Amino acid sequence: MSGEYALAFKLLGVGMITVFLILFLVVVFGNVIIRLVNKYFPEAEKVLPSNTGEGISRKKLAAITAAVNIATKGKGKITNIEKL
Amino acid sequence: MTAFQAIFEHPAVLLMLLIGSVLLYLGIRKKYEPLLLIPIAFGIILANLPGGQMGVVPGESIELGHEHYMNLFEIAHKFGIMNFLYYALIKTGLLPPLIFMGVGALTDFGPMLRNLRLAFFGAAAQIGIFTVFLAAISLGFTPREAGSLGIIGGADGPTAIYTTIKLAPHLLGPIAIAAYSYMSLVPVIIPMVVRGLVSKNELKINMKEQDKLFPPKHKIKNLKLVKILFPISMIIVIAILVPTATPLLGMLFFGNLVKEIGSTVGRLTDAATTTIMNSATIFLGLTVGATMTAKVFLEPKTLGIIVGGFLAFAISIAGGIVAVKLYNVFSKKKINPLVGATGLSAVPMASRVANEIALKHDSGNHILQYCMASNISGVIGSAVAAGVLMTFLA
Repeated sequence: MSGEYALAFKLLGVGMITVFLILFLVVVFGNVIIRLVNKYFPEAEKVLPSNTGEGISRKKLAAITAAVNIATKGKGKITNIEKL
Repeated sequence: MTAFQAIFEHPAVLLMLLIGSVLLYLGIRKKYEPLLLIPIAFGIILANLPGGQMGVVPGESIELGHEHYMNLFEIAHKFGIMNFLYYALIKTGLLPPLIFMGVGALTDFGPMLRNLRLAFFGAAAQIGIFTVFLAAISLGFTPREAGSLGIIGGADGPTAIYTTIKLAPHLLGPIAIAAYSYMSLVPVIIPMVVRGLVSKNELKINMKEQDKLFPPKHKIKNLKLVKILFPISMIIVIAILVPTATPLLGMLFFGNLVKEIGSTVGRLTDAATTTIMNSATIFLGLTVGATMTAKVFLEPKTLGIIVGGFLAFAISIAGGIVAVKLYNVFSKKKINPLVGATGLSAVPMASRVANEIALKHDSGNHILQYCMASNISGVIGSAVAAGVLMTFLA
């Protein structure tokens, strides 16, 4: 029984240290990835007009963009939106 | 021949039919984790109908000696289809990782990546697993059984089932029931622990105001790419350090990767989150339920599992809260202790419950995104804890 208690205390220590270590690495690697991506692959900030000339609102524009992205699997590009 | 004689000879099956019916009621009427509780409850009923050959038999029954076992055809022929399903899908450990793939495809790591510091509270909340492991050993459980009992504190059904399959398959039924019952009781258990440990002032800590006072150092400039690189790099790191956690976390990160890649592999995401996950859930529930025959379930250990599971849950929540309180002692930027309370896995229910508590005390204090950060890290944390248990005990 004392052997089992020793195992239990050992697992308590090793287990918690391992969980903290892994989540520490999640934090470290997450930060490294964010910094590298920010430095080498930043995405140009999209400035959406509050209202386009034809009266299309930001929300509608976002919905149209999302629909085009899904339909063209991300390859399509919106160049002009006309109200018919 | 009818089954009346068998029922008269073993009246305990009537109690099991009653338990199955009660669980069905809770799933259908009260909507307690219905997607899993209903198949489990129906599995219990099927397993305890005498003569139906739907109850799962213990591993010794299929052993031929010298570590040789019957093949699946022989199992189906001798013990029926439920045993075929159990030994093919559950005993091999197949279904929990498949469910984890679907969970990954439904998980957004975005909130965690925006608040990486909060991931530590997902680690602190695993304390319940190891404390209950210790307590269970003192109550006479074997180390393997204690490990399976403790993992309920991770509040993650597939992880609890996977660990139990590897450590103590004879306890699979009661542990699955306890894990999913307590997960459905998260809206009751979290407020209960919070009331005991957190003051009203602490509950009013506004995370967005704290962010304004102490803004994050880095703003993510290409979230999509970060989200794609994150699961790939993390699985390599975790698999090297805790290889036994790879089946669960590997599938979780794969599911997440296909989700983040987007429409190019949209069909894979759809399959992972619907067809595969739903099929896996049905078979997991039915077969886990079918392990709960009267002989296996009606034992004193089942009561120990019910009590121990609750303690594991409550201690995990308390562990996360205490970790936040300790952090607040040393940091200028304060964190709402409710964020720590969500360090256990039950995603996203734990976060929703914590957010509701925060809103009750301050209607403008929306902490859902912050809770999700520790909540998601809790999924990783509990799988790692399971990996540690399996490494030492399996």
